[in-house]
Amino acid sequence: MSVTKPLPHDSGPLHVTGQARYVDDIPTPANCLHLAFGTSSIARGTVTAMDLDPVRTAPGVVAVLTADDLPFANDVSPSIHDEPLLSVGTVHYVGQPIFVVAATSHHAARRAAAKARITYAEEAPILTVDQAVAAGQYFDDGPRVWQKGDTDAALAAAPHRLRGRLEMGGQEHFYLESHASMVAPQEGGDVVVYSSTQHPTEIQHKVAEALGVPMNAVRVEARRMGGGFGGKESQGNALACACAVIAVKTGRPVKMRYDRDDDMTITGKRHDFRIDYDVGFDDTGRIKGIDFQQYTRGGWALDLTIPVADRAMLHADNAYLLDHARITSHRLRTNTQSATAYRGFGGPQGIFGIERVMDHIAHTLGLDPIAVRQVNYYHNMGPVRAGKVSGNTTPYGMEVRDFILDEMTEKLLADANYADRKAAIADWNAKNPILKRGIGFSPVKFGISFTLTHLNQAGALVHVYQDGSIHLNHGGTEMGQGLFQKVAQVAASRFGVDVSLVKITATDTGKVPNTSATAASSGSDLNGMAAKAACDTIRDRMANCLAELHQCPVERVRFEDGKVRVGDNEMTFEQAAATCYQNRVSLSATGFYKTPDLSWDRAKGQGRPFFYFSHGAALTEVVIDTLTGENRILRTDIIHDVGRSLNPALDKGQVEGAFVQGAGWLTTEELVWDDKGRLRTHAPSTYKIPACSDRPEVFNVELWDGENPEATIYRSKAVGEPPFNLGMSAFFALSDAAAACGPNYPMLDAPATAERVLQAVKRARG
Amino acid sequence: MYAFDIERPTTIADAVAALGAEDAQALGGGQTLIPTLKQRLAMPSKLVSLTAIPELKGVCVADDGALCIGGGTTHATVAAQAAAHYPALAALAGGIGDPAVRNRGTIGGSLANNDPAACYPAAALASGATIVTNARQMAADDYFQGLFTTALDEGEIITEVRFPVPDRAAYMKFQQPASRFALTGVFVAKYADGVRVAVTGASEGGVFRWTEAEAALSADFSADAVAGLSVSSNGMMGDVHGTPDYRAHLVKVMTKRAVAAA
Ligand SMILES: Cc1cc2nc3c(=O)[nH]c(=O)nc-3n(C[C@H](O)[C@H](O)[C@H](O)COP(=O)(O)OP(=O)(O)OC[C@H]3O[C@@H](n4cnc5c(N)ncnc54)[C@H](O)[C@@H]3O)c2cc1C
Repeated sequence: MSVTKPLPHDSGPLHVTGQARYVDDIPTPANCLHLAFGTSSIARGTVTAMDLDPVRTAPGVVAVLTADDLPFANDVSPSIHDEPLLSVGTVHYVGQPIFVVAATSHHAARRAAAKARITYAEEAPILTVDQAVAAGQYFDDGPRVWQKGDTDAALAAAPHRLRGRLEMGGQEHFYLESHASMVAPQEGGDVVVYSSTQHPTEIQHKVAEALGVPMNAVRVEARRMGGGFGGKESQGNALACACAVIAVKTGRPVKMRYDRDDDMTITGKRHDFRIDYDVGFDDTGRIKGIDFQQYTRGGWALDLTIPVADRAMLHADNAYLLDHARITSHRLRTNTQSATAYRGFGGPQGIFGIERVMDHIAHTLGLDPIAVRQVNYYHNMGPVRAGKVSGNTTPYGMEVRDFILDEMTEKLLADANYADRKAAIADWNAKNPILKRGIGFSPVKFGISFTLTHLNQAGALVHVYQDGSIHLNHGGTEMGQGLFQKVAQVAASRFGVDVSLVKITATDTGKVPNTSATAASSGSDLNGMAAKAACDTIRDRMANCLAELHQCPVERVRFEDGKVRVGDNEMTFEQAAATCYQNRVSLSATGFYKTPDLSWDRAKGQGRPFFYFSHGAALTEVVIDTLTGENRILRTDIIHDVGRSLNPALDKGQVEGAFVQGAGWLTTEELVWDDKGRLRTHAPSTYKIPACSDRPEVFNVELWDGENPEATIYRSKAVGEPPFNLGMSAFFALSDAAAACGPNYPMLDAPATAERVLQAVKRARG
Repeated sequence: MYAFDIERPTTIADAVAALGAEDAQALGGGQTLIPTLKQRLAMPSKLVSLTAIPELKGVCVADDGALCIGGGTTHATVAAQAAAHYPALAALAGGIGDPAVRNRGTIGGSLANNDPAACYPAAALASGATIVTNARQMAADDYFQGLFTTALDEGEIITEVRFPVPDRAAYMKFQQPASRFALTGVFVAKYADGVRVAVTGASEGGVFRWTEAEAALSADFSADAVAGLSVSSNGMMGDVHGTPDYRAHLVKVMTKRAVAAA
């Protein structure tokens, strides 16, 4: 069976030979126009005058459009229609598109766009959490509060109490391929859209609105992205809509891609958060009650801020059983890029809050930070006892039935030799006045499913041709994560054939409609199941036909090892397909899947929003230079739970990449806006993502040997987002190293740049 | 970019003549100037490329022992050819930017540009180098005049830089992690007649000599000698990569590291 095999990424050879085709590699049709946005240079105000004549007369310019020139809807929001494609006179952040130029080349369009003369009536922008709170700039009608138990009483009665604040920055997606779209106009006003998107159906929906046509007039195709990380869930709408409007207006094909600076300036990023905590605990570090205030800057438009902030609340417990908890979430509107989806979707921010609390408690009590985490863990249920025990519920009332972090933690600590290394680090630190080592641990329990329940559905379309070759299509998109290969492995396994017989094809709204974004780590869970259903339909039809032909019971038809065995007869899959075709069997089927057993009352903050949880644990050792704050990751050990892996090679790759990206978020990646609201870090010369040389020198990643107690595709688990959280172990290792310098808790904030580490060292010393 | 003409003379004399035209500008490796043009922050009528002039290229040792580097010599060439004579300088050149920058960018371009975060100005100032142009010779102490400002006249070309070779020296750069420019860099050079310490990346006034440290190190060339000194954060740069306090702090740390490595 091809599932569970560590097959390489299906496009690996194409990636490394440059043959893999991204949107910008599609041969451009004749007469193609290229677009660029003219954007706001101020963060908040009104356009008082706009002279676009110099733009119109610039070389190569064919059309210049403002909001007034748009034929139908002027909106690219994925949520509440508050995000005009082109400004309607007010501007809300530096970089907001105001007009769009169509020209004969990419560079002609960009050059022309720079020639606009726009004057503004400027207003003081709202940029910070404090400014937004003071101005009452709330999304979602004010703060949202979810709670369990009696937090105030628990805090008052607790033997120890701590308050603290954690600030964490946002994060630029830095997909290697920036945003791109191309639209080819068709007869009768229809369009075909090629988009670098995680969400083809959303592109279809927004383009249809922009053109004033039904969705059936728009077909969207997406073969692959050069990285997405959530940044291509909603942010591609603007490019696709602009291209479509101009394609229909001019009758010419139209392409748009963002230059890196434009991409970083225009598009949204991970939400930054401030988390204030007030926690009561006993002598063992067990939390008695906890109050979290989560503040996040959502930027100028709603976009996905509500579900992101919800997920931060839903992960405020991480792996810990909280009897009394109150989580208050402030979703703030600011004059910055509209913060958007990013791997983890708010989950990491929520988790980071309680992980800091664990560390802070441990330091206060002089206990091992891992021991404090262990006393707070949810009860280990084990799959056998699933559903049998009560009182193991999250703050939102969901029973945790599949918790396995006790065993995982013990194995990790044993394999990574924690106790000895901790002692060795203490010795080493005692001898070394300047360099200090630190070791940090972080576990993750991550909820899998879209919290908007209806999104948990997927479709697939499978054809078997008369030569036995298989054509596979589903609603998921490929962004390098290996989804297509995993689903192809599922299809191959259902037919008992080698994966090379399965042709992987571009995501296409004309083949599989009404898809959800490839997001929430749910790609293989949903699309794998849908593909399985489609394959099984065809396989059953084939089996019935063959059983009848060979006069044998249908149960004795087996598809395995590239053969079809019908009773005592054996044939190749190819022969079986040909026979079924000749006997007029339909060899094409759709498949559909919806995740079972979900119920979620968002208003109350109660229910079962997740189908299951994924787990992981990481231990990281670092060294810091106490004179400068410079630091290196020396070693990381990870055990991560992907259930019964569909493809251990791809899953390990996801875990490794997620760790590095998570560590980057909390260490070197720093977004800086100035007091005018201009993003000053909008290129790789100022914004530092981890490079290959920044990964741990020793990097041991192991997949947990287990299976999903829930009936997921081959009992596997989602992998995209959960391991991102393991990067926190690097942060807590840095904090531990700083703590080795003095008696105080270092109160390190993120990103832990060298300068922040140095300040933490000073705070530790007091 | 705005439109411009380009010339590629083969002698210094022709280059000087070409630079006589109004708004003409020299083009070295283009690693600074080309991005500047792309952002339309400069509008020369004519670029005079210095890359085809053999007289401007190469590394040699003068009779007085000074290391002479042609103004059009790339960082990569200095990294390779100065290593035997002045290892600290070669190491500095080898740590600039990335291979593409090192194979195009030149010492003359770097010194003419005098970026406050550039590496070469620290080497030139700490070595008491002589900047040789088509017209004259200048001591490094007179040459650097603040951010992006030098004593060069309009159209004047750096033809050579002469570095007296110290007994011991080292350059320590705290890299801004994204661009690898110096967030703060310190070049320490010990000569028979005293120690010179030049700091780049830190001050709002550009490269400067830390004279207290020079005095202390001239008396006692050890990292401990500067332990008692402190650098004020007044006048230090503050930007997205670091505060003035942090830079002031790094000046001392990098100085000690340089002394230890020298
Ligand atoms: C990604 C990147 C990273 C970098 N990192 C570093 C770093 O870590 N450290 C560092 O020091 N620098 C760094 N640099 C700058 C690099 O060293 C440049 O090469 C250098 O500053 C300019 O040299 P150039 O020959 O390219 O000059 P150009 O860009 O061609 O010219 C720069 C200026 O000097 C003038 N000029 C050029 N040659 C002469 C001459 N012979 N006489 C008189 N005037 C002349 C030009 O007219 C222009 O005004 C980096 C650059 C980049 C792009």
